Order: sequence, then structure tokens, then C-alpha cells
Amino acid sequence: MLNGQEPAEFKERIRIAIGVLLFAFCVLTLRMGYLQIIKGEEFKKKSENNSVRFRQIKPLRGLIMDRNGFVLVDNRPSFDVLYIPNRTKASELSVEKLRELYKSKAMELPFDQSVLRNAQPYLPIKLDKNVSMEKVALIETHSLDLPGIYVDITPVRLYVEGEMLAPIIGYTGEVTQAEMEKNRNKYAYGDVSGKHGLERFFDDYIRGRRGAELVEVNVLGKEIKNLGRIDPVSGHNMTLTIDFNIQKAAWDAIEGRAGSVVVMNPQDGSILAMASSPSFDPNMFHEGISNEVWRKLQANPFAPLSNKAISGQYPPGSTYKLIVAAAALEEGIIAPETRIFCDGFFTLGNRKYRCWKKGGHGYVNLHKAIVESCDVYFYTVGKMLGVDKIAEYAKRFGLGEVAGIDLPNEKSGLVPTREWKLTRRKEVWQIGETISISIGQGFNLLTTLQLANAFGSFANGGTVWKPYLVKQIESADGAVRKEFLPEKKGELKLNAKTMELLNDALRGVVNDPGGTGYAAKLPGVEVSGKTGTSQVVGLPQDERARRMRVLASFHKDHALFACYAPSKNPEIVVAIIMENAGGGGAVAAPIARRILNAYFEGQKGKPRQDVAYNP
Amino acid sequence: MIFLKFDRRIFHHFDWTLLALVLIICVMGIMNIYSTGFSAAGGQTPFYLKQLQWVIIGLVFTMAVFFVDYRVIAQYAYVIYGMTVALLVLVFIVGYSSHGAQRWIGAGFFLIQPSELMKVVIIITLAHYLDNHKSNEPYKLKELFMPFLIVAVPFVLILMQPDLGTALMLMIIFVSIIFFMKVDRKSLIFLFVGGLILMPVGWFFLKDYQRERLITFLNPESDPLGSGYHIIQSKIAVGSGELFGKGFLSGSQTQLKFLPEQRTDFVFSVFAEEWGFIGGVVLIAMFTVLIFWGLKIALQARDLLGTIIAFGITALIAWEVFINIAMVLGLLPVVGIPLPFFSYGGSAMLSLMLAVGLLINVSARRFILQR
Repeated sequence: MLNGQEPAEFKERIRIAIGVLLFAFCVLTLRMGYLQIIKGEEFKKKSENNSVRFRQIKPLRGLIMDRNGFVLVDNRPSFDVLYIPNRTKASELSVEKLRELYKSKAMELPFDQSVLRNAQPYLPIKLDKNVSMEKVALIETHSLDLPGIYVDITPVRLYVEGEMLAPIIGYTGEVTQAEMEKNRNKYAYGDVSGKHGLERFFDDYIRGRRGAELVEVNVLGKEIKNLGRIDPVSGHNMTLTIDFNIQKAAWDAIEGRAGSVVVMNPQDGSILAMASSPSFDPNMFHEGISNEVWRKLQANPFAPLSNKAISGQYPPGSTYKLIVAAAALEEGIIAPETRIFCDGFFTLGNRKYRCWKKGGHGYVNLHKAIVESCDVYFYTVGKMLGVDKIAEYAKRFGLGEVAGIDLPNEKSGLVPTREWKLTRRKEVWQIGETISISIGQGFNLLTTLQLANAFGSFANGGTVWKPYLVKQIESADGAVRKEFLPEKKGELKLNAKTMELLNDALRGVVNDPGGTGYAAKLPGVEVSGKTGTSQVVGLPQDERARRMRVLASFHKDHALFACYAPSKNPEIVVAIIMENAGGGGAVAAPIARRILNAYFEGQKGKPRQDVAYNP
Repeated sequence: MIFLKFDRRIFHHFDWTLLALVLIICVMGIMNIYSTGFSAAGGQTPFYLKQLQWVIIGLVFTMAVFFVDYRVIAQYAYVIYGMTVALLVLVFIVGYSSHGAQRWIGAGFFLIQPSELMKVVIIITLAHYLDNHKSNEPYKLKELFMPFLIVAVPFVLILMQPDLGTALMLMIIFVSIIFFMKVDRKSLIFLFVGGLILMPVGWFFLKDYQRERLITFLNPESDPLGSGYHIIQSKIAVGSGELFGKGFLSGSQTQLKFLPEQRTDFVFSVFAEEWGFIGGVVLIAMFTVLIFWGLKIALQARDLLGTIIAFGITALIAWEVFINIAMVLGLLPVVGIPLPFFSYGGSAMLSLMLAVGLLINVSARRFILQR
């Protein structure tokens, strides 16, 4: 044998190994026998009653406040009636007993008995949720007759002024199967997650961490001993950039019509107000929303569930003229004094493009063209610029891509180019389409947020900010966890001369006699802005557009208005898009006026911010 | 053709008993995992099917390892060892760059856990080293330094992951093999005393949760929500199985998810709950037979290398079975050692099937004379 050691020696040691092994496995067997045979009965009982129960404690979700600390979203306790089936006959009768108890008080138990048949023992079933104190008292007094039934107190969301911010803040609900599978470590059965808006976008911060409790219960399911507890951790609180007063003014000014408003600080991109109408009551979700109500919400042609300020995409209409004018000036296609004759029509080949003003504006220069929103002037200029040049400037203003706000479902809008049409539609660009683009019609699309951001960047002298809604996130004990600072996205890079000319023209829109935005004129503060009226045509494949055809009112134009104030050192920019409401000057500008008024009323007494402005 | 190079006797001596025994345990394991996933809402591949995949892939590994003479494999021991250590290091690099995952690294379509592989690799490496440095005298401290270093490197790496259970497993394999090879008595006393001194030092290197587990083990009531909860629920599960068990798919502790880590560390409680004392004894008996069989292979191996490999692998399986079941029964702290062939887990299954391949390899070549 070539082994260093003799096989006999190995034999000896293997024998020892076998001895150790047999001994060890005997210990295991004896232990098993002790647990299963000697103590088996006891453990079996324990497992049947499952006398040791693991109970999750829901955390408090973080509060959401406006920029001044006014609480917009709070928590309140909700009393739910739970039932733990546990295989004993007595407990099966509990639900029937409860139903009878309810009946005796002329109340109904909104619970389908058939669910019980598929119930898994020991997994709590919700019999009734968000019950009144009367029901709580009823169940507590009869608790001995109702084994397995108990009242669970969980925190639920309370949305103060729910409708006013619902599409922006969103709502919460129990995690769905899909969410749990996507984030295995994040969610557990019964957790609450944000479903929409800020509640969803910042869910990781405001959700908090669930706690747990281990309790020993008796056969009736009553708690007899607390074996241990891990406290839940409350979610972080969030302070928004939203100012409740301006928000309220914006919401009130819309008066329930379909449309959206974005109010922003042009100096840093913070959102002062964002409203989308019609809205919904987010509080109804945990009060048990019926399938019917849910279907109605979803089928509503006015789309109350969506945040139109970031998800609604509209042709910019004449608000686009600011961009076309800037492009024309920068590219040297026009001089400020260049005059173009408008006789009410622009002719291209055998097609005639109408100016909104029948009979025309006569000779117009740039200032007048913007103030009176002359279409023919911009048809002419746009044709000279070409679609790709217009697109280049539109992109500088932040159009055609998401503004990057901290909300889910932001849409990017559309800035068409020759290449886009060729790749997406497999068609060659038509010159006539450039004509439409020049006045913001045709393929062009933007969101209210993008409109606000574009005008904001012009107002502040050329910086495109990333708009944001959340100012600060702090833990429940007040420690600041995250602070959001203004983030620069890009620059307009326009000449000072161009800025000054256009700023002057925008001021004229509101303040000059004959200006289309006259309705936004405010005493004491100079306002600059641009109206827009975009036609609802095209996009036949769009589902909502199809529905629109059903009602005549859907054929009406969208009313747009974007403005900033004061004209020098602007503090606030307002963008409004009202769906199928009519003309921008007539419908949207008055809304802006109410919002601006609320802002400057509120600003009175506060020291004016001094910001450098160099247009 | 390469095939002709094989001595055809290895097929005559193919260890069908061993393979059959392992496969029976694997099938029992899959049935058990099926039971744990029975009440779960699906969406993805059920765990028992995944485990079946692992067993089948593992069988391919078994056969692949079987064909190559273990002496040839041992010649590459240091290369294999080096690559596995590299994988362990990679875990840190890749682990940090992703989301703090420490034990796994992605291997294209699945995740591998190099620490599981290390358990088998360390056996081949030690066997190769000791075979190269055989002596007739019992090992002295100085001679044990190199083998100790071989184990210490992956030990520290795995401890840092942190994975106390697997790291300790490496040490246990090392100690078992060294004892089997016989150690000088004086050195033994020295090691023992040294170990006693090092223990409190080691305490400082433990992560908080590892200390907690040890404290919990000594006093389960101190943490009824954490690992204490695991032990309490596991004992209820096992105990409530009584003599005959609650029946397949009927363990209430299991089906209701009171039992934690059902598919991995606590599979045995699931089994004991549903199959009772009888089932538990049968399973332990099967493991006993398997381990005896492994020791027999060690004894009959044609050379020292084969003996150490076979003994090491058998020791690995024996210790894991003992530690896992003892843990489940509340006799040892919860350290995260899976039950061989039974717990869910791809890396562990593949590593074990590799080990089985080595055992069969040694067994089949026992009659072939050395050149």
C-alpha cells in the first residue's frame, strides 16, 4: 500500500466516526421523539389554535404638507372587522352570528358568505371595513359570542380638500399581487402602497416600515399575552412646493370645467400649484369603492383619474408663436420692423390658410403679430424657417421631451421634424404641414407643464429648470432626509435683443389695446403672456378623440394661455389649458387673472424678492 | 477516441446504490418543497419544479465528474481552488456594485453562490495537499499550517459576506479531515487551548445579527419575534406532527406560513410536521445509510487521495444533516445550514451533486491498480 498510513488505522478511525455519527443521530431521534411523542399532544394543540400569532402592525404613512406646512394629507384610524377562521365549529358560526347581530340593529354585513369556503385557516379575512363606532361597540360587547372575530384598527389616508389635489397627490390602496411579485422584498401581503401621483412616486419614502407583534391567544382568539413587539416606523413626511392658497385659487378658477393649470416659480422651477379637472375624491378608495363607481370613473370621457397637467397632450396653438418668433429673430429671417401684409389668407399652391381674423390685420410687424396673434405673419415666417429649425428652438424650450417632474406618467408631447415623420409615419414631410406647425397646429403636442416651463424659461432670462413638486422629505422626528434643490436642465441661448423684443411683445398681448390676452390684465402688476386656441382635429385613431365625436361640445377648441408676472423680475408663471372651452383669450386668460390676483394679494406685506433679470 | 481510454471496469463498479439513495432523498425533498409551495399564489415557476431542474442539471454534473479520474481532477485542485476563491472575491465586487447582495453573483441566467461550491472544492484541495505531503507520523502544528491557510482564506471571505454558517462549515470540514489523518497529541492540546482563547476574540468579529442569534439560542425568550420566533414555530411544527404526521400537504404550520424559511433552512420541520416521527426517523435513517456508504467508499478507496476525498465529502454531508436537523429541533442556534439534497437551492444542489460524482468516482475506481 502506498498510503502513508495503514488501512488498519483508517479502519479504527472510521469506527470512531461511525460511533460519533450514531450517537449524534440518536440524539436527534430522541429529541424528535421528545417533541413529537411526549410533547406532541401539547404542540398539536398549539398548532391548532395557533396560540402564538404573528400580527403585522401597519405603519403611519408620511404626512404631505404644502410649502407653508399646511397639512394636505393626514392619517386617520379606520376600524375594520376581521375574522380568523380556525377550523373549529364554533368559529364557523361566528360570521352568521355577526350577521344576525347586524340585522338586529338594522345594519347589513357587506360580506359574501361563499368567500369563507375557500378561506385559508388562520389567515384573517376582512368582513367589513371602515365601520362606525356603533358597530365597533356592538362587536366588542358581544366578543365572547364571536370567537375569531375582532376589530382591527389601521391607519388610512385622510385627504384634506381631496378633490383639489387628487390627480396630483394620487391615492393609496392595498398592494396588488403584481406589485408584490415585482418587488419581493418591498411589499408583503396586506401592505399599503401608493397607486397614483405623489403617493406612488415617493412611496419608498412615505410608506414607512411595518412592525410586528407576537401574541399568545386563547381558543377564542382573544389575546392573553404579548410575547414581543417590533414597533412600526412611520413614513417620512413630505413638504411640497405647492402653496395651498394659490392651489385653491387655481382650483376655484377652473370651476369644474375640464382642463389643467400649472403655476410655477420661473426662478427655480418649483411648482406653486397644479390643478387638473374634473377630479375625484381620493377618500372614497378606502371607504370601499364599488365596481360601478370605479367603472364610471374610468369610463368618464373627461378622465378624472388622469393628471391632465402632465398627461394631457394638446396642440400649443398660438402660444407656440413665441418660439417661432424667437427662432425667426435668432436666425435673422425677420427684423423686428419687417412688415408682412395680412389680408386674412395665406396661399400655398391651391390651398388657402386662414388667419383667425376675417379680413386680415393689414400690415403687421413682429410686435403687432404677437400682440394680435396674426396667423398669416407666422405662416410666412414659419415657411421661411422650415419645420426642422422650428423644432430645434422648440426643443431648446424643453418641448418634445418630459420636463422631468417628480410624478409618474408624465408625457413628452411631440415636436415634429422631417425625420420623425419619415421614421414614424413612413411619409415625406409636406410643406403645408410646416404652415400649420408655425401657428402651433398639426402634429405639435405639449402638456400644460411643458407650456409653463417653456414660458418660465423665457421669463427668467433663459434657464430651463427641471420642474419639481417636492421641496423636502423629513423623517417623522423632524430630521431632514432629503432636500430638493432647483436643477438646471438647459438654456435657451437667445440674444438679449431677442429676449427684450419678445418680452415687450408678450407684455403687449395683455396690456396693449387690441391684445388678445387683455382679460389677464391686472391693476398694479404688469403681466406678460400669450393666448392660444388650438383646434381639435385629427388623431382619429385616438380613443378619446373617438369619444369626443359623440358630443358636439368636444369639437370646440382648446383654450390656452401662458403668462408670467411681473413683466420685469417675474415671480410667477401660469399656464392654462382648458379642454374644448373656446378661445384662449376669452376662457383661459380670466382664469390666469384670478390666480395671479390671489398670488399678488398673498404677496402683499411680504418683502419683494429681488431677483436679477436680464432679458 | 477518448472514450476508449476509459477502463471499462469503472462501469461494472458504478455505484448504483449510492446514486439511487441520493435520488430518493432528492425526490422526497422535491415533494416536500411541493408541499411548501402548495398554498402559494404562483406567477412564476413553482419552486419544486425549479428544484427538479437543479437535480437534473446536477445529475449531468455528477456524470461529468464521474468520467474524469479523481486523480486527474486532484491535479487541478489548486487551479479549481484559485478560481473559486476568485469567485468569492468577485461576490464582493459585483455584490457591492449592485444592491448590496453579498452571497450571490449572477451567472447569466441564474445566480450562483460560490460559498456552496467552496465546500466541495476545499475537500479536493485539502486531499490533494495532504496526499502530496503524506507522512507516517501524526501531523504536527507546523505541518498543519499550510492546510489551515488553504481553509482560512475562503473562511475569512465567506465570514465577511457575512455567512457564519457556511464559514464554520469549512472549518468543521478541515477539523474533521485533520482528525481523520491523526494529529500529534501535543499539537492537539495546543489547538484546543488556542481555540478556546480565540472564541471571545471571534465574538468581536461577529455581526450584530449573528451575536443576536447566539444569544437567542441560549435564551429563546429574549427575541420571540426574530430567530426565537423561528425556533418556536419550528418546534410547534415538528411536535404537532406527532407519531404519524398530519399527512402530505396538510401541515397547518407549513401551509399557513407560520413556519419561516420553509424551503431552505427549515425544510425538515415541514417534513416532520407532515410525516410525523415515523417519517423523520425514515429520513434520518436514509441519511445514515448514505453516510455509512460514504465511509465504506472511503475505506475501500484505492489510495490515500480517494480516501480523503470520500471521507471529506461524507463528513460534509453528515455534519450538514446533523447541524440542520439539530437547529430545526432547537438543539443548536439558527446558523443557516441547509439540509443536503433536501433544502431548496440551486448552488447547494449542484455542489452536492458534484460531490456525489466524486464519491462515485472514487468508488468505481477502487479496483483499478495504480500505475
